[in-house]
Amino acid sequence: MRVTAAEVARIAALAELAVDPAELPRLTEDLERILDFVARLPEPSAEASGDIRIGAERLVLRDDVVLPSGLARPPADFAPEFVDGFFVVPRLEAMEDA
Amino acid sequence: MSVRAAAASVAERLAAAGPRGLNAALAWSKEALAAEADRVDALPRHLPLHGLPIALKDNIVTTELDTTCGSRMLEGYRSPFDATVVTRLRAAGALIACKSNLDEFAMGSSTEHSAFGRVLHPLDPERVPGGSSGGSAALVAAGVVSAALGSETGGSVRQPASFCGIVGLKPSYGRVSRYGLVAFGSSLDCVAVFGRTVGEAARVFGAIAGHDPRDPTSVGAPPPVLRPASGSLQGIRVGVPAEYFPADLDPAVRAACDRTLEQLRELGATVTPVSLPHSELAVPAYYILAPAEAAANLARYDGVRYGRRAPGVADLRSLYRESRGQGFGPEVRRRILLGTYVLSAGYAEAFYRRAQAARRLIADDFARAFGAGVDLLFTPTTPTPAFRAGEKTADPVAMYRADVFVCPASLAGLPALSLPIGRSEGLPLGGQLIAPYLAEPDLLAAAGALEAALDPAAEAR
Repeated sequence: MRVTAAEVARIAALAELAVDPAELPRLTEDLERILDFVARLPEPSAEASGDIRIGAERLVLRDDVVLPSGLARPPADFAPEFVDGFFVVPRLEAMEDA
Repeated sequence: MSVRAAAASVAERLAAAGPRGLNAALAWSKEALAAEADRVDALPRHLPLHGLPIALKDNIVTTELDTTCGSRMLEGYRSPFDATVVTRLRAAGALIACKSNLDEFAMGSSTEHSAFGRVLHPLDPERVPGGSSGGSAALVAAGVVSAALGSETGGSVRQPASFCGIVGLKPSYGRVSRYGLVAFGSSLDCVAVFGRTVGEAARVFGAIAGHDPRDPTSVGAPPPVLRPASGSLQGIRVGVPAEYFPADLDPAVRAACDRTLEQLRELGATVTPVSLPHSELAVPAYYILAPAEAAANLARYDGVRYGRRAPGVADLRSLYRESRGQGFGPEVRRRILLGTYVLSAGYAEAFYRRAQAARRLIADDFARAFGAGVDLLFTPTTPTPAFRAGEKTADPVAMYRADVFVCPASLAGLPALSLPIGRSEGLPLGGQLIAPYLAEPDLLAAAGALEAALDPAAEAR
């Protein structure tokens, strides 16, 4: 299956993943090889249509009550930056994708 | 021996299993072990796992040891809560010994994809212990700990159990709580168990199984009632799927399986051929579904709430991209790209929907075999014994194919177990038993009887 380096770069952007341009040829080759391998799956038949459910018969709704978080340490202890109850991040570049 | 003395000897063995040894142990400390020993000493001695040293794959969170998932992304991360399985192990008297090395975020079949270096096979340092739970497998096989928890998404406990010559049990999907297991492929992930014997694996499984309201996928069924293995398999029908014995199967693997089937007959079981015709679709389907789910699950590592944050970035988007680009290793990046690709507009129909349909066919194959009166299935666990380090790292597809016999039961959510059935030039070989959904008691009883009859040290010829 033909995949281009430009497509891999676009997918990496969709996945919010920085990729060094020098890595692109190798990643493209890997992706092509894997997609060739997985593309052997047949078209779905009527036999295989419908939802598949693995495990529990149905998911049980939980009571709508607030439970204690059970956290031994607050977010300020594990977040990279946490001030006054907020996770702190750099500013958003003004409408870069608009 | 007191628990304190046992903990001290575990510490000595762990010191030898670090980066200069098997490289199987990640976080542990003498102080934490001593505190664990004191805690266990204060518990009643009749508890089922009293004093049993257990390693945890480093994607199972604890408040007292770092959880890295074998990734730079989570280096130094300390969870603010304990996984349910950890709470249950502690309540059963187990001694939490250490965290164990793994393929980064449990993605791999050789434990060569850890940011903290590859794990060595305990019998041959040139070979891999399997993966992704290779650290846990190596620690049990080397006798550092008595048992360990791993996790399975597509065979990550059974395959390393087979390579290392120990027992690996993957429970039914939903049987063991995943609260506190770092998510990879949520429709597949299970906490799974390694033991040196079937009995030890069963004991640990018994302690951790059962409903957990904190895990919405946890099964509401009552906890399994395990029974001791009897010496007979009279009345048990064991199906042997032809698709798991291809013409190019490693001759030693085939010979060990033939001998095991003979043993099953001698124990009174009826061995009957069956067909699981869609088995060959399992690995391709898995490598669409698991990366698709991983791409979604790993979106949470964005450098904002926890984990690695790239320094010196100017805006939020760069923060996401650089933190993720720097934090994830090559195999995780590959799978995020693959998962994003197969879910992207125009490709979801061609890939994701086909994979879901294949999964349905695979699950139906199993349902038909069990519906026709077969109690258990027997197959090889892996197509070959442990391969050499570096042998498959250049070709991801060759690596993925190592999971060919373990993937189908994962896709169908069924319980399955690998146990040692012989050796090939000194390297262990595993045989796999697969049971119907929630039939772990039958699976473990049969595996126990078979284990007692087999000589796992015998060369397969």
